[in-house]
Amino acid sequence: MSTGTIYHHLDSLSQLIEQGKNKKYYLTDFGVHAYNSLKENIEVMESSKFSKGDYNSPLLKFLFALTPIKFIAFEEKDKKYNAVISFAILIIGTILCGLNGFYSLLLFFIKTSEDIYKLTLISHVVLSVIFIVNFLLYFLLVELFCRLFYRKKGNTFNFFLSFPIILYPMVIYLFIHFILLSTGLIRITYINFLDTVLLIFFQILSLWLLTYNLKVSKDLKIERGLIIALLLHYGSFTVVLLLSI
Amino acid sequence: MTPMNYKEKSLNFLDYRLVGLVGSIILIVSEFLTWLSEFSLFDIYIFYTITRVEQSFIFLFPLISGIICLIASLLIISNLEYKINSVIITSIGLGFLTLFLVDFIPGELFYLSKAGIGFYLCIAGFVILILHIILILISKE
Repeated sequence: MSTGTIYHHLDSLSQLIEQGKNKKYYLTDFGVHAYNSLKENIEVMESSKFSKGDYNSPLLKFLFALTPIKFIAFEEKDKKYNAVISFAILIIGTILCGLNGFYSLLLFFIKTSEDIYKLTLISHVVLSVIFIVNFLLYFLLVELFCRLFYRKKGNTFNFFLSFPIILYPMVIYLFIHFILLSTGLIRITYINFLDTVLLIFFQILSLWLLTYNLKVSKDLKIERGLIIALLLHYGSFTVVLLLSI
Repeated sequence: MTPMNYKEKSLNFLDYRLVGLVGSIILIVSEFLTWLSEFSLFDIYIFYTITRVEQSFIFLFPLISGIICLIASLLIISNLEYKINSVIITSIGLGFLTLFLVDFIPGELFYLSKAGIGFYLCIAGFVILILHIILILISKE
């Protein structure tokens, strides 16, 4: 490289570097800041990477089509609007969970041991309240895992605001289940099988939304987000199993 | 092939992607081995279907789960670029298994001490597949 070219590049970097008394080049304060910023955000830059195969796959395209990106990666001016949508999802989920007679634990729903058609109003209300408590518990656990494993402390409020969005598939499931339950169709074997398949599908969709939300709100790589989502999911499965016993 | 190349090839062959293959095959095989009272899950499914017992389909879930996880394992073996796809498909497969276990274990709790090899293989397959998911997600490739 010619001396002229080197001086040209040094001139371009004049805000970031300076020459010391010993004729060596050092980073300026601004240069140090730029270097630290790059170093700290390397994961953010990596987090947007999908392998070509994954990105072009029909499965991920389908999941992306069902992802309300606008409500997860919302802008500051849409905060109030987003809060209303999140609140509405929570309220509808709360009512439907109570009506279906489900105890909820993260993304699992456990049927009450009593006959659903003979449940008292207080039982329905208690089950509804459990749904809200479950939502708060889920959020706190995800936040705790982010802080504990990946030291991601920031953006907590925005993450909280968009967190109910990940429950929208479960609310749709609760609605479908309620229709099947109230019409008695759930007693038909094939409909019951379909109900189970729908629960699995909506659980997976919710897990995907949580992963995507972690990527957007916490700047976590998709793989890391999936680790948190799946660890919590299978952890809650173990708890559900122990409670059932 | 030099000894070094041979060693490298062997190490590549024994990679983490085979864990999923082993887990899903164990899960499929467990469906046809003894679970309770010398009956396999497939026998119980046939028996319950003939006697028109509701929810007999649930006894096919380990088999369905194994097949779905096998597809996911083959996908990542064929192309490492499908990491996320493979994890999501495996999760769908394990979804069937979790719902089956939640339904089956509490109902048969008192008979589990006399459970056959099929039950233990199913649990082993489940654990192996979770390990497989974690290995895929933490791999650097």
